[in-house]
Amino acid sequence: MSRKLNVLLVDDSRTVLAQLEHILNEIDDVSIVGMARNGASAIRMATESRPDLVLMDIVMPGLDGLSALRTIKSMYPEMEVAMVSSARGDAQKVEEAFRLGACQVLGKPFDAEIFGALIANTCVVLDQRAADEGGQR
Amino acid sequence: MSVKFFGQFLIDQGEVDASHVREALDLMEDANPTFGEISVKQGFMTTRETVEASAAQRSRDLPFGDMAVELGMLTADQLVEILRLQRSQKLPIGEALVQLGHIETDRLGTLLDAFKADQAEYEVANIDLPDALVNQCATKYILELLPRLLMRVARMQAKVGDVMPFELAPDYADIRVSIPIKGTRGLEVALISDLEFAEQLAMAASGISPKDLDPEMVADGVGEFLNVLSGNAVSAVTKAGHRVELGPPDYEATLSDGWIVELAVGDGHAALVLSVF
Repeated sequence: MSRKLNVLLVDDSRTVLAQLEHILNEIDDVSIVGMARNGASAIRMATESRPDLVLMDIVMPGLDGLSALRTIKSMYPEMEVAMVSSARGDAQKVEEAFRLGACQVLGKPFDAEIFGALIANTCVVLDQRAADEGGQR
Repeated sequence: MSVKFFGQFLIDQGEVDASHVREALDLMEDANPTFGEISVKQGFMTTRETVEASAAQRSRDLPFGDMAVELGMLTADQLVEILRLQRSQKLPIGEALVQLGHIETDRLGTLLDAFKADQAEYEVANIDLPDALVNQCATKYILELLPRLLMRVARMQAKVGDVMPFELAPDYADIRVSIPIKGTRGLEVALISDLEFAEQLAMAASGISPKDLDPEMVADGVGEFLNVLSGNAVSAVTKAGHRVELGPPDYEATLSDGWIVELAVGDGHAALVLSVF
């Protein structure tokens, strides 16, 4: 991995935030830049810390994950956002997440290997984007 | 591993990326007939009625079909028939990805087999249930998935006991979290336990140490487990063609008459309480 990836975690459950932190701390070159517990805080923290990747729950009280995803992608199209879902049987929400620009929708319970792949893929996307931008100068 | 849709699985496998899935969803939207289009084609509704039902949705948050039934434009049987036709005529995402050239035709079968194997954990065997619970298709998934998820999430072994009538909460039930599953008939699923079981579950699920554990975190850990369990059950039921929806968890659940399923667990005591509403 050629870069340090800054990640923002968003979930209303403290258990899930702790679990995500635990999993990501096991992956090299990942830095957790913040943790938010609702969509509004996520938008504020995304603005302040400009993470490379946001990991965000779909269903949250107050401003939910899909609304926050829409706002974040409109403000920062280059920010990668992966949504987290406890499934909840709603294919429409999963489809909506992809339509709004999510790079993946991860199901619970979490599979640590999937996070490794997600981080690696995100780094590839960011490296490619940086190379493209460099080539255009 | 969780119940997932084929598009998510393909991204996990590195076969496609999110932009390919987005293209496929757009193609599916163009190709798949809408509920209104099918209802008109079947002669169940007029075009004017579909416009009226659609307009009525602006003031009430109801799916189109449910709104049409409520307005007397469709019968319940016609609603079921249209949903069946909609499912049967839907362009699958795998086919859409093949049409778009993101997956080779020859490879689709292999990937579908791999997806089926990945999701095999969520297929359930026949479980004997009381008559009143037989139609609650989510019940079987919940009872079948519970020990597997408990092992997967918390490395805790559990054996599901018999389904018994529930009258009074056991003395050990310090933690009572419930979640409603809404469908044609509703099912309230409550996970009750003593503190020992709840703390073990919260610690194992979150990865935090006992010194960092507080009462909110303990209840949250049990609630999150129930959320994941019910969410995966609902997903599996939805994929089987049923219409169900999960409500928010209640961390101070009032237990209603129904059934109790004791769980034989290594640490502490726990049970599921199921009530039909």
